Amino acid sequence: MRSARRTIAFVLAFGVWLTPSPAFAQNTPPALRAYDTLPDWSGAWAMVGGTVFDRATQTGEGGAVTQGVRSHPPYNAEWEAIYKSHLDRRDKNLFPDTISNCGVPAGFPRHFNLPDPYEFVVRPEQVWVLTENGPNVLRIYTDGRKHLADQWETYTGDSVGHWEGDTLVFTTVALKGHRDKDVILDRTGLVLSDKSRATTRIRKTDANTIEVQMTIEDPKALTKPWVVTKQFRKLPADTRLYDYGCAENNRNPADIETGKTLVLGPDGKPLNK
Amino acid sequence: MKMRVLGAFAIVATLVSTAAAHHSGAGFNSDKVMELTGTIKEFQFTNPHTWIQLIVEDEKGAKVEWSLEWGAPNQLGRQGIRPSTFPPGAKVTMRLRPMLNGAPAGAFVGAKFPDGKTVGRWE
Repeated sequence: MRSARRTIAFVLAFGVWLTPSPAFAQNTPPALRAYDTLPDWSGAWAMVGGTVFDRATQTGEGGAVTQGVRSHPPYNAEWEAIYKSHLDRRDKNLFPDTISNCGVPAGFPRHFNLPDPYEFVVRPEQVWVLTENGPNVLRIYTDGRKHLADQWETYTGDSVGHWEGDTLVFTTVALKGHRDKDVILDRTGLVLSDKSRATTRIRKTDANTIEVQMTIEDPKALTKPWVVTKQFRKLPADTRLYDYGCAENNRNPADIETGKTLVLGPDGKPLNK
Repeated sequence: MKMRVLGAFAIVATLVSTAAAHHSGAGFNSDKVMELTGTIKEFQFTNPHTWIQLIVEDEKGAKVEWSLEWGAPNQLGRQGIRPSTFPPGAKVTMRLRPMLNGAPAGAFVGAKFPDGKTVGRWE
């Protein structure tokens, strides 16, 4: 009997503890959009075009050879000089791609500049953009939450958004950019600063195309907003995605001393040190 | 060692795009393609790129191990390539873009088996 009383008292006390306070209850998020009213972005998708933003920079030993979107950020003089220095090192194969040593996310906006399949997972409270390459996850909160005022900078930043019809509109803030020298937009050394932020609009333009338009602002590096549009085409319905274990057999690490991209032989020793 | 420079060669878009995902491809000579005939030691069907280890005899009869870099296993897998595509012990002739410094490695272009079956770009 005493044991039963104790149990009842505990349940009552625990229940009171779990009951939201009036103040908490007033912060109930707005009603979420019903799942069956959301656009269908299911399936696997692949970015159209190459992974270099500015094809005019494809020169030198370390130059890119894939086709890409010709789009050069409107850098101010200081950051144009930074980019130029990266191109010079790239031409000598001394500017390694930051993801070549494995373990770091691609970051934003490079998240929308990767090869291999993408998935766009649409849920009422979040949208997830998953990339096989990396792999990387971009979470976009659509549950009414705001950016944190004291959000610290990360590779991919913090994204919150809303739906305008079937277009997802979101802002991305708290990006570390090139602050720690471990985020680039493409392997030519295109970079943004830790003051960069973006407003992105994603929509399906036809049954087989998703368009991602990013308006990137960076008061530290750019003279005006930089608008970049990427398109993604739908892959066959039976497309599968797989592991991307970068560290599994990485025979192209960067040389720590010089930054040179190495080619490792079967014994693990560089063939081009 | 059977080795023949084929001269300027069109870049294989799929090969390069996969390589581009991870590193610059620097170190390989994009202006020429050479041909090697040897025996497959191992097909490393691994991330981030696959590697074909090929044993080739040089002019003096010594066995040299060549490393041929190919695309990401996921992309190749979706195109029908499997770890069994290059079985150990199989004789094969391969085309590659060799390293600039002459080291025994390069970017894989294509392969042809004695029965005429080809893999990759072989025209």
